[in-house]
Amino acid sequence: MKQHMLAVLDLLKQHKVDYADIRINDIHEEHISTENMKVQNLSTSHTRGFGVRVYLDGSMGFAASQDFDKMAEIALTALEIAKASRIAQQQPVILSPKHVVEDHYSTPILIDPFTVSKREKLDLLFAAEKIMREAIPTLFKTEGSMDFRREEKSFADTEGSFITQTLFESGGGMVAVAAGKADMQRRTFPNSFRGNFATAGYEFVLGLGLGENAERVAKEAAALLEAEACPSGVFDVVIDSSQLTLQIHESIGHPIELDRVLGYEAGYAGTSFLHPSMQGFKYGSEHVNVVADATVPGGLGTFGYDDEGVAAQRVPIITKGLFQNFVSSRDTAATIGAISNGTARADSWNRPPIVRMTNINLLPGTFELDDLIAGIEVGLLFSANKSWSIDDRRVNFQFACEIAYEIKHGRLTGKIYKNPIYTGITPEFWNSCDGVANEKHWRMFGTPNCGKGQPGQVAHVGHGSSPARFRNVKVGVADVK
Amino acid sequence: MLSREQVYHVIDTVTAAATGYATKVLIQGSANALTRFANSEIHQNVFEDITTVTITVTEGKRASQISTNSYDDDGLRIAVREAIANLAFLPEGVEQPALVNAPAEMVADNFNAELDRQYDVFSRARKVKQCIELLEPDYKAFGTLAYNNSQFAFGNSTGIKRYARINSVSFSALVAHSDGGSGFASITSAEVQGFDVTGAFAKAYEKAKLNKNPEDIAPGAYTVILEPQAVGDLMAYMSYIGFSAKSAQDRMSFLTGKLGEKVFDERVTIVDDYTNHNTMSLPFDFEGSPRQVVPIIEKGCAVSLVHDLASAMKDGTVSTGHSVNMPKMGGIPCNLIVAGGEQTLEEIIAHTTHGVLVTRFHYMNPVNPREAQLTALTRDGFFRIENGKIVAAVKNMRFTESMLNAFNNVEAISRDRQRTAFFFGNYYVPAMKITGFHFTGKASM
Repeated sequence: MKQHMLAVLDLLKQHKVDYADIRINDIHEEHISTENMKVQNLSTSHTRGFGVRVYLDGSMGFAASQDFDKMAEIALTALEIAKASRIAQQQPVILSPKHVVEDHYSTPILIDPFTVSKREKLDLLFAAEKIMREAIPTLFKTEGSMDFRREEKSFADTEGSFITQTLFESGGGMVAVAAGKADMQRRTFPNSFRGNFATAGYEFVLGLGLGENAERVAKEAAALLEAEACPSGVFDVVIDSSQLTLQIHESIGHPIELDRVLGYEAGYAGTSFLHPSMQGFKYGSEHVNVVADATVPGGLGTFGYDDEGVAAQRVPIITKGLFQNFVSSRDTAATIGAISNGTARADSWNRPPIVRMTNINLLPGTFELDDLIAGIEVGLLFSANKSWSIDDRRVNFQFACEIAYEIKHGRLTGKIYKNPIYTGITPEFWNSCDGVANEKHWRMFGTPNCGKGQPGQVAHVGHGSSPARFRNVKVGVADVK
Repeated sequence: MLSREQVYHVIDTVTAAATGYATKVLIQGSANALTRFANSEIHQNVFEDITTVTITVTEGKRASQISTNSYDDDGLRIAVREAIANLAFLPEGVEQPALVNAPAEMVADNFNAELDRQYDVFSRARKVKQCIELLEPDYKAFGTLAYNNSQFAFGNSTGIKRYARINSVSFSALVAHSDGGSGFASITSAEVQGFDVTGAFAKAYEKAKLNKNPEDIAPGAYTVILEPQAVGDLMAYMSYIGFSAKSAQDRMSFLTGKLGEKVFDERVTIVDDYTNHNTMSLPFDFEGSPRQVVPIIEKGCAVSLVHDLASAMKDGTVSTGHSVNMPKMGGIPCNLIVAGGEQTLEEIIAHTTHGVLVTRFHYMNPVNPREAQLTALTRDGFFRIENGKIVAAVKNMRFTESMLNAFNNVEAISRDRQRTAFFFGNYYVPAMKITGFHFTGKASM
């Protein structure tokens, strides 16, 4: 296939393209869902195809097909599309320079998830469900899930790079649902929206601790049904890693995407409050240190090379509260006189690469979790996301969580609240952070459902964090009359 | 893209390879092209040709599903073998509904050759350029002009076959001033006639010009006029969390246990109607069930919910033909028609003493589905109305509101309605004036 790709690239060179690349993706996925001790869904999928991206006189064309006999024809279609793009061109696109690479990268795994029997996987989920149901027999519903992905990628471009990658993803989770006549509450583990995910093998699922946490999850779901609604007001809060994941994703991860900053997503996903001139902007307090790290082992946004053939990197984003860098692709980086930091990814063969988060991680601080809680007179600890929303410039966010734990006089009281919501303004919120727990508490969560782009693309990204404390956070909306 | 004969061959190959099993075959093909522009130039321009075959093999209470884009005979047989092999690993699962067995065939070939001719990549680029050339130097254009050419086919081991083909064009435009004020408009159609790209662009431009020097308003309850796009945004999320029988069975729906009860103002009538020409719909769903017209809200009263086969079996009824092959969600209404009222949008504005006008919402999500509580932010045109006139642009705000409250506080519904895109169809919705709508936060630093 390599020779075929190179021959098609040669054909495009004959047509005097500025640049072209061909990417082949061969993706296998497996999805398992159980519900009330029954198999709710067992599905596998396989998709294989290629996409050809062409720049001609600084204009872009992209065409994709699953018919490998038509690779040359599709390449010429991409060329024609690039010619059409020239009709409405203002500034020719320039691609920032990169190294020419020939390499292979594989996700390090211990157990290939596709070699583990479905029966064994189901038994693990059923065991967790059984514990939940025995702990609280009145639960309305219990659920379990596992998801696995293997992706073989080949990339070749007119600059001479040829890169192959074998990427594995594994994930799993469980849900306990309690329902009454007028209310329904759910508790998830290890996180909402099908659990936690990593670039890893089946060993990751074995290590999730589903069975060990099943009883607690079931009891919390039942307790939420009887719990008071979370009060509205201004509180000091601690946010755990399961919720901080999405907080980081929405209020740091997306605003730092350079394509959004440049307006490429303005018509759909939105822009950013950041501007290229804002390097050094006080994004957060001195406790806030963030990196975009595509090299961290196991992160769902970990890989060898992005879909432009740029090597995975660890890039400082916020250092002691000060904004440092955007995440970028070759075309966006060139716009601000920079070099791509390797974050252009496509979700499959039929989409062009766009700027995506890798693993946007809040680095651990120095606090013990107990000390963070001890520093709050009256407050709340939030866990597990239930709902998210943020404006098109990534300024005003609002999150609903599954559960809030009451803090009084520096201790968790044991009281819980249902339906907690908190809201804020991005820089104000991160500047109100006065402590991040240490590396003992640092955890990574995978977010496998990050939507962006037209046509739509779903990226798999990761976020690491330790629980952190924030002062004077607006909780609830019931007081807005 | 495959021909009808080719997709029928795929169905026959799969069902023959799975003889003895209850088998479903869903084929989704598309040859879609999208021209995307930002900062008044085309920055992304793409085409894809993809066909995916989804095979479900069932034996008693065991079912396994496989999807593949290898649709040659060998590829299909391999996929069927894998699906059957997976059954051996499975303990008994949930009871499987009976396959649809009538009518034997349904065909809806609505391919519009004229649309195909007029919206090739060069035509799209020229239309985008025409729009951009309308702008004064301080304004920039963003958006998409897309041509979609899709086919859907379904068959199962009872021998039924379904085939539909539809092509359409859609245009969305956001015009923004260098100071940040923006306007938005979108249109979609399966016909060349009446698809006015520059007309829609001019509307977005006009709104952007109006959206200057925005002022702050305080969070609180306001009389709000929601333009059709904003109403469509609300309807989409109400569909997800409330209008499917599955969501009620899961006790997530705000209509759980409320069928037959008055839930909204009596002026609110919502029907899922695939026969309305504005909806660009398929006459069957992804399980092969013929689609039905389903009244959901009649004069404020919750009357029925939409089903796929599984939710229908659980409720002891028949599918309404609303499967989107997402069993977790059950049926989804993709063709909602919201009844219009008496006044035009302009008349509703003219009859408003104090209020705000919303163009559309951004990043909506349910906060508490059981109470139909949604949240989102305004974008691309949010204005203050005083004494019947738009008097100022307003900085974007977040709302957090229960739709059970909002749709009981309807004061006016517009006569004129618009299409808003949703999933595999369109909604057709009016503007609405609602009192006591809670804006709970500012979106500015």
